[in-house]
Parts: sequence; structure tokens; C-alpha cells
Amino acid sequence: MSRQYVLLIEDNDDDVELTKRAFARNHILNEIVVARDGAEASTLLFSDDRERPLPQFILLDLKLPKISGLELLEQIRSDPRTALIPTVILTSSKQDEDLLAGYRLGVNSYVRKPVDFNEFVEAVRQVGLYWLVLNQPAPVENA
Amino acid sequence: MAEARTPDAPSSVPLGDVLERITDGIFALDADWRIVYVNSRARELLDARNRNLIGELYLEAFPRARDATFEREYGAAMADQHPRTFVEHSQTVNRWFEVQVYPSPDGLSIYFRDVTERIEAERELAERAQQQDALIQFGRAALGRIATGRLMGDALELLLTYLDLPSAEIYLYDADARRYRLGEVAGLGDAVAPHDAPPLSDDAIAELVAGHFIVSEDVSKDARFTDRETLARLGIGAAYCVPVGTSDAPVAMLTLYGSREAIANASHRRFADGVATTLGEAIRAKVARQRNREILESINDAFVACDSDLRITYVNERMAQFWGMRAEDLIGMSLERFAQRSEDADVIASYRAAVEARKSSSFETFMPDRQRWFETRVYPFAGGVAGYVRDITRRKAAELQIRELNVDLERRVRERTHQLELANADLESFSYSDSHDLRAPLRAIDGFSQALEEDYKATLEGEGLRYLERVRSAARRMSDLIDALLDLARIARRPMSFVPVDVSKIARGVVEDLRRDDEARDVRVMVENGLHAFGEPSLVRACLDNLIGNAWKFTRGTPAPEVHVGSAGPGTFFVRDNGAGFDMTYANKLFGAFQRLHSPEEFEGTGVGLATVAKIVTRHGGVISGEGSVGRGATFTFTLPTEAPERQ
Repeated sequence: MSRQYVLLIEDNDDDVELTKRAFARNHILNEIVVARDGAEASTLLFSDDRERPLPQFILLDLKLPKISGLELLEQIRSDPRTALIPTVILTSSKQDEDLLAGYRLGVNSYVRKPVDFNEFVEAVRQVGLYWLVLNQPAPVENA
Repeated sequence: MAEARTPDAPSSVPLGDVLERITDGIFALDADWRIVYVNSRARELLDARNRNLIGELYLEAFPRARDATFEREYGAAMADQHPRTFVEHSQTVNRWFEVQVYPSPDGLSIYFRDVTERIEAERELAERAQQQDALIQFGRAALGRIATGRLMGDALELLLTYLDLPSAEIYLYDADARRYRLGEVAGLGDAVAPHDAPPLSDDAIAELVAGHFIVSEDVSKDARFTDRETLARLGIGAAYCVPVGTSDAPVAMLTLYGSREAIANASHRRFADGVATTLGEAIRAKVARQRNREILESINDAFVACDSDLRITYVNERMAQFWGMRAEDLIGMSLERFAQRSEDADVIASYRAAVEARKSSSFETFMPDRQRWFETRVYPFAGGVAGYVRDITRRKAAELQIRELNVDLERRVRERTHQLELANADLESFSYSDSHDLRAPLRAIDGFSQALEEDYKATLEGEGLRYLERVRSAARRMSDLIDALLDLARIARRPMSFVPVDVSKIARGVVEDLRRDDEARDVRVMVENGLHAFGEPSLVRACLDNLIGNAWKFTRGTPAPEVHVGSAGPGTFFVRDNGAGFDMTYANKLFGAFQRLHSPEEFEGTGVGLATVAKIVTRHGGVISGEGSVGRGATFTFTLPTEAPERQ
């Protein structure tokens, strides 16, 4: 219950598995909970009868069915319960528009998924190390 | 006074001696008409030297004087006793005499002198004057609007009437066929000229064409005439052929047939020459006029020419139709007659201005009664004014239509622009999804290949591992290609700003990056100072990234690599290297997307770099070209604006 986990919001099974593999390769043992689309993520994060606590860290793909990554980001940042959760966009897109929109909506970091798996592993390593180890998250406000 | 000069009596001597010496012929009659005196001069004049005459009755001595003027005048003088003078032709001696008659109760004294020469001179003068009048009249008629056929008929009639000839012909010269063809005959007509060609030898015809006259006082013995028997049968003794026109431009020939005397008469021939000259001028003028008329009739405009009093001197058929009148009725009419309506008055005023101020003008008028637009152009010329009128209703309608079309077009352009904007938005979301969707599978290919390699290394043989590496390498290349394509697409759509760009500075920045990323290379780079242009800085940077990057890349195998960035004139830049170069045969493929002139093993690359460069240059309104040869480097020359383009 108090186990800290990473929420990976990603619709592509391949990418889910590769991301998990990259975490494993980097010996990051935190649980990874996967939401397959924006709606599922929304349920996980915002429903009142949710089973889990909020994640420690969110990895967000932009192109998602139903509710897009950017829309979801907007919801995350506008809800006081989730507004302070470190959220990193992990996407194939390097479009200026997406970068700008992401940062405007308050994303903490924007990481482009490299095609080369070695580079991808390295990216995941750095992201995980930084956000799960080095970074001090905001204190939880209500007890 | 007359009384004093009157001799009292013919018999009174010594007067006789005196009378003998007088150069006038003198004779005297008594009251019974008996000749009582004749001086020797009178005998001479009356061809009666050997006759006695004295005592003879006058009318018996000179029977031809009976019933003639002589008898009448002498009788009258005896009766009224008044002296009189008259001039009469004497049948007796076929001479003209001026006769003075002095009556007395005893009889008559008659003085007479031979005035034949004077009379004939006078008569010839009168004849000449008459001919001259006729010629002038003919000339006037000839210059008017009469048909050539009638003109020739008139000329021949004139000749036959005044020269009393049996026959005359006119042959017209056909310049194309270089021969004369029968134009008109008069008098004996067909009998003399049964053929189309004149009855003359080729030599004689050549003479006439050359402008020489032919006078033949005996055609029956003249070899220049070919049909001598016919001429002899018709009793034609002589002929005169006159060339009409000039030797440069023969127009026709005129042939007169007649008696030897008629043809020998120089005054007759002069008259014929006059007729020929007039005829030639008239035909020439007619041809010129015909040509002018053809030109004026053939132009689509209605045309009118006026003299300086605005009296119409010429209208073409179209102008006559425009006014609804016959052309011949309009000639001589004043233009003012057409100035009844106000818009017409303006038109007439402009004609007047053209005459008075020698000023040409042009204007458009709408005629409500015709419901049509007209354009009038007025030009002054020496002695008058010419006007061209053109119906421009269709042009006006077209103009109106174009204006309407333009409005419609603008609206459609706006609509279309809007549609395009929508389509562009679609396109952007399309390439956005592309970038995402195309890359994800590649990542899977690469990632799982590596997973396979890592987790099943033991079970894969050497060849299998190598295959996996090739799969991964292909996936990475595919990814690069997608990136390059997306870059290219972005450049094509990117909004442009035109600001001053320091090309030298950008080039140095590119070189710095290359050196940092590739420290092992030692490339000598020269970037000229002061390279300036106008453009979108990020695109100019991308352009130089590619060009200098290429130069950097393709000099990899060169022992002393050099890259030179410089200017070849204002707004013209080049990037030159001494690297691998390329075969000019393929120069046309340099700038196409995915066109590569080197294998990926030799030089890596997407094949989109130069396509991107070309796109950037053309978006700046510039041009780019590449030059090179294998193993000796390449030079890319491109242009960029040197000043900000004007915004519409």
C-alpha cells in the first residue's frame, strides 16, 4: 500500500515491454503500473474509490487513444491531488508544438524515446535515477 | 475717211500704177457685175494670170462664187451702198481671203488679200484649244470614280472624235504575264483587233514596254505589224502606237489607225500623247486608290477622312454602314451633320481640335440609341483629319465580366485559402502522427532484436547475431530517414521571416559544432568574413548545416581536407570542398529527396540533406546549383535575398 510505484501511461505493448525491460536492465526495482490509455490513467489517478495510492512518478506518452497525453497532463496538473506528482513525457514526438505544449502545461521533463534500444535504456536509466532517487518529491500535504 | 480712200473711178489713171503696186488684190465691178478692173496681184491670187477678165461678168468668170458669201456680200453692198469686210474661203482657188468691199453708184471696188495661213493657224489654234479643253475634261473625269473600262472607252471616243480616225485600241499591260491584253477598242473595233494581243511583233512590243513610240506611215510595208493583210483590207494606211505609263511601270498602250495624213499630223499625235499620259496617270491613280481602298476597307475599323473644313473626302464601307448611308452619298457631306446628339457633338469637336491644333485624340463613347460602346481615334494629317471608329462593346462587356470575375475570384481564393488552411492543418496532424506511429515499431524492432541478442546469445550462432545486428542497423536508418523527412516537411511549411542574417557567423557556428562532434578530424575550414543576406535564420542555419556537414563528411578520405565558405557576388554564396565530389552526369539528381550519389557504406546519410537545402533556398526565392567531379571535390552555389522582399 505504501509501496511507491511508477505509473507508465502507454498504449503500445511493445513500448510497455521495452520500458519495463529498460527499468530491469537498470536495476530499478520500483513497481511499474501501466495504464493503456488516458481514460484508464484518469480512473487510476482521479477516481475516489481508487485501490492504490498515487504514484511517485508518472511516465506519459503523448499519443494515446480516447484522452490524449496532453489532455491528461492538463488534468493531472489542474487536480490538486496530482498537481505535484513528477511527470515526464516519454514520447516519439520531437515536434516543437508538443514540446511547447508539454512545458506550458507544467511537465517536469520531456524525453524523446530513442529508436536505438541502447540509447533508450540509457535514457530510462537517467530518468529513473533522477526522478526516483535523486529528486526530492514535494511533501504530501494532507495526512 | 473711208470715202477719201475710195477711188472715184477705176479708169482714172495715174491711179492705176499705184494700184498695180499694192500687194492686195484689187478688182472693180460695174453696176451690172461686169469686171472693169483687175490688178496683177488679183490675177495672181485668183489664179487668172492668163485670162483677160475685163468685161466679163463676175459670176461667169468665177462661177464658184455664185450662191456663196462673195455673191451675197457684193449684192448687199450694191444694194445698201455700205462698205463691208468679210473673210471667206474661196472655192475657186481653195484659199482664204479677207475681202473689203467699197460700193459706189457705179459699182464696187474690191480689195482682198490671202489670209489662208492666218486662218489656218487660227483654226489650228482653235482646234488645239478645243482638244486641250477636251483633254482637261477627260483628265478630270479620269481622276474621278469611273471604272477603268469606261475610262478607256472615253479616251478612245475622244481620239476618234477629235482626230477623225477610223479605229483606235487600248491594250492594258499585264505586269505578271509581261504582255499586253486587249482593253478596249473603238471604231472598226473587232475587225482590226480580233485577238487579245496587239498585232505587233515581239520586238515592237518590247519597244513599247521600254517606253518608245511607234509611228508607221505605211503599215502595209512595216514588218513591226503582224496582221498587215487585215489592215490593208480595212484601208488602214498608217498607225501610231503610244506607250502608256513609264518604262519602269508600263500601264497600257494606245494604238491609233488612220490615213497617212492623219497619222503624220504632229498635232494629232501630240493630242494622242496627251490622252495617253492622262490615261496612264488615271489608271495608275486608280490602282493606287484601289490599293488604299482595299487597305481601308480591309481594316476592321470604320474609317473616315475629311478635309480641313470637316467635309468628308472618303469613307470606307464600314463607316458608311455605321452612319446608315451609302458611301458615295457621304462624300462631300460635312461631319457637322452628324453632331445632332450631345455625345456626337463631343466627337465632332475632337475632329475639329485635330484639324486646328494638329492634335490626335482617342476616346470611348456609349451610344444609348445603339446600346453599344465605340472607341474613336482621331488623327490629323496634312490637309485634313482621319477618324477610326471601332465597336468595343464586346471588349467593354469582357472588361465588366473580368471585373465581376475578379470579385468572384477573390471570393473563391478566400474560400480556397480557407480550405487549404484546413487541409494544411490535416497535413500537420498527419505528419505528427507519422512521426509517432512510424517510430514506435522501429523501436520495437531494435529493442527486441537486442533483447534476443542479450537473452539468447548462447543459442544464437555467429551468423544469427550478425543478422540481428543488421536488423537493428536497418531500423536505425529507417528512423533517421523519418526524422529527415519530417524536417523537410517542416521546412516546407515553416513561416518565413526575412531578417538580416550573418551568414559568416552561422557558418562558423556550424563548423564549431562539427569540430566538437568529430574531434578526430583535422579539416582546414575557411569562412569568408562579411557574408550577409536576408532570410529566416533557422532555415539558413539548416541550409549551412547540410552543406558544410556534407563538405565535412565527403572530405573524410581526402589527405588534406579543405572546406571553403565564400561569396561569388552579392547574395551569391558557395560551399566548396576538395572531397569525394560527384559525377556531373548525375547533377540533375543532386537535389531530389532520397537521391544519393554515394553508397551508404561509403558515406552515411539519408539522401534528404540536399533536398532540404534546395527547399530552403527556393523558399527564399533563390537558386542553387552543384558542380563537381569525382575525387576532386564539389562546389555548391546558392543565392539568398540581399534585401527584405516587399510585403504585399
